[in-house]
Amino acid sequence: VSNVNGVTFTIVVVLFLVVTGVGFAAARWRRGGTMMHLDEWGLGGRGFGTFVTWFLLGGDLYTAYTFIAVPALVFGSGSIGFYAVAYTIMVFPIVFIFLPRLWSVSRVHGYITPADFIRGRYGSRGLALAAAFTGILALMPYIALQLVGIQAVLTVMGVGASSSNSFVKDLPLFIAFLVLAVFTYVSGLRAPALIAFVKDTLIYLFVLVAVFYIPTRLGGWSHIFDTAQAHFASVSPATKKPLGTFVPTSASLGSTQFDFASLALGSAVALFLYPHSITGTLAAKRRSVVKRNMIYLPMYSLLLALIALFGYMAVADPVTAANVKRTGNAQLAVPYLFQHMFPSWFTGIAFAGIIIGALVPAAIMSIAAANLFTRNVYTEFIQPDASPARQTRISQWVSLVVKVGALLFAVELPHTFSINLQLLGGIWILQLAPMLIGGLFTRWFHRWALLAGWAAGMIFGTIAAYNVASPTTSHWAGSSDIEFGHTIYIGISAVILNLVIAVALTFVLKAVRAPAGTDETLPHQYTADHADVPAPAPAGVGADPAS
Amino acid sequence: MTQASTRSRSAIAAHPVISAVIAILVAVSILLPLITPIYARTGPRLGDFPFFYWYLLIVMPVISLLLWVAAQLQKRITSEDVQ
Repeated sequence: VSNVNGVTFTIVVVLFLVVTGVGFAAARWRRGGTMMHLDEWGLGGRGFGTFVTWFLLGGDLYTAYTFIAVPALVFGSGSIGFYAVAYTIMVFPIVFIFLPRLWSVSRVHGYITPADFIRGRYGSRGLALAAAFTGILALMPYIALQLVGIQAVLTVMGVGASSSNSFVKDLPLFIAFLVLAVFTYVSGLRAPALIAFVKDTLIYLFVLVAVFYIPTRLGGWSHIFDTAQAHFASVSPATKKPLGTFVPTSASLGSTQFDFASLALGSAVALFLYPHSITGTLAAKRRSVVKRNMIYLPMYSLLLALIALFGYMAVADPVTAANVKRTGNAQLAVPYLFQHMFPSWFTGIAFAGIIIGALVPAAIMSIAAANLFTRNVYTEFIQPDASPARQTRISQWVSLVVKVGALLFAVELPHTFSINLQLLGGIWILQLAPMLIGGLFTRWFHRWALLAGWAAGMIFGTIAAYNVASPTTSHWAGSSDIEFGHTIYIGISAVILNLVIAVALTFVLKAVRAPAGTDETLPHQYTADHADVPAPAPAGVGADPAS
Repeated sequence: MTQASTRSRSAIAAHPVISAVIAILVAVSILLPLITPIYARTGPRLGDFPFFYWYLLIVMPVISLLLWVAAQLQKRITSEDVQ
C-alpha cells in the first residue's frame, strides 16, 4: 500500500466516519413509538414530505451506476452510454402515469411492497410470490453494481490493490460493507434518508466543480468533443470496427439508434418496478408529494448528463486514458480522471461522495428486498402469525443475506462494463410490468395468464442474457441482442413476449371461465389521498365492477 | 359506488379537453427523448456542444415544465369536482 495518497485517504476516512455517525443517529430522527415495526424500520414511519422524498428517491436513483458505470460505458463505447440520460429524462413522464395510483391504493390497503399490491389485486399468492422473487433477484445485481463502484474508487486510491492476497485486496470493501450493513440493521430507512442529504451535498459540490474546472484543463469542451469524435471513429485493430459511436448511428452502420431507444425505454419502465424505488415512494406523506417529485426529479437528470460527459473527459485526457488502458478496467475512468485533475484533498471529497453515493442506495435496496421477503414469503408461507417485532427482526437479517448475494454477483459476473449488472436486473424486473402497471389500470388480465407470461419472460430473458458473448467473455457479456434484424435490449423483447402470452392466455382462460381470484381493491382507491385514509376496505368485495 | 369513485370517473368525462391536453403533454414528454432519430446528429452545435448532447440537456427542463403544467391541470379538474 505504498502508493496511497495520505491526504485523499484521510479525507475519505473522515467523511465516511461522519456519515456512519449520522447513520446511527438516524435511528432517533422523527421516530415513532417503536422501531420494531415494518412501517417504522422499513418505511421511516411513512411520513416523508416532498423535500425528504426528493432526497430519498434521488438517493435511490443516482448511484454507482451514475458515477462509475455510465461514464465507463461512455468512455468505452461513446454515445450509446447516453441512453442512461435519455432514460432518466423519460422515466418521470412514464411514472407520472402510474405511480400516484400505486401510492394511493397502497396507502388505503397498507401495502408496503409491490407484491402486496399484486396479492390484493389478483387474490393470488402464487403471483405475489413470483413478484417477490423477481424483486429480490433483480436487486442483487443492482446492489452488486454498487460494490463494483466502491471497489473502483478503492482501487484507484491504492487501498489494498497492490496486495496479491485476495482477502487483503478486498478488505476495505468488506469493512465498508459491514458498516453499511450494521447501520441499516439498526436504523432502517431513516439512515439512508438522512445520509442522502450529506451525499447529495458532496455530489453536487464535486460534480459542479468538475464540470466547470476540468474542461479548462483539457482545452475546452470543443476539444473534448473533437477528441472523442475522432477517437470513436478510429478503427480497432482487433475487431476491424470503429471503437464506438459519437452519436447513435442509423441502419447503414449497424444501427445503435434502436438499441439506444430500447435501452432507455426499458430502463425507464423498469426503474419504478424495483421494490426500492417503490419503497421510497410509499414512504411519502401524501399523493401530491409523489407528483411534485416527478416534476422536480428531472433536475437529477441534468446532473447525470454532466456526469456521463466525464467519460469523454477521460478520453480527452491522455494520462487518464493511459491509466485506464494499463489496467484494462473502464470502471476506473472517473476515479483516475479525478485523481489526475484535482488536488488530493478535493479528490478525497469526490471519492467519499462516490463511495457514500453507492452505500446509500445499497442500503435502500437491501431494505426493500428484506421487506419483500418478510411480507410476501415469510408471513405468507412460513409464519403467518408473526408479530410486528418478529417481522422486523426477520427483515433486518434478510437485509444482510441479500447483501451477501450481491457480493456473489459482484465476484462472479464479468465487469467489462458494470452497467450490465444493472441491465441484467432490469431484464428481470421488467417482467413485472404487465401485472403491476397493467394491474393499476385494469383487472382484465387473468392471474394465471400473467404468471405464465412472467415465467416465459424470465426464462427467455435469462437465457438470452446468458448467451451474449464478447471477444473477452463467452457469457453474460451484454444486455442487448439481435431480434428480427434489430439490436434491442433483451428486457424489452422479453417483456413483449411476456405481454403477448399474458394477453393470449387471458382470452383462453376467460373463455373456459377459470376462477379469476378476489380483488380487494376498489376503483376510487387508486386516486385516494391521505385525507381519504383510513378507509378500511369492505371485506369480501368481488372482482372490480369497472373492468 | 362511493362518492369518491364517481368523482374521479367524472373528472375525465366532465373535462374531456383538459384531460386530452394532459394526455398529450405526458405523451410528448415521453416521445421527445424516445424518438432517437430526432436528435442523433452532430449539428448544429450550440456553443461547443454537438446537437445530440445539447438536445438532451435542453429537453430536461422542458419536460419538467410540461409535467408541471399537466399536474396543475389535473389539480384543477379534480379540485373543482370536490366543491
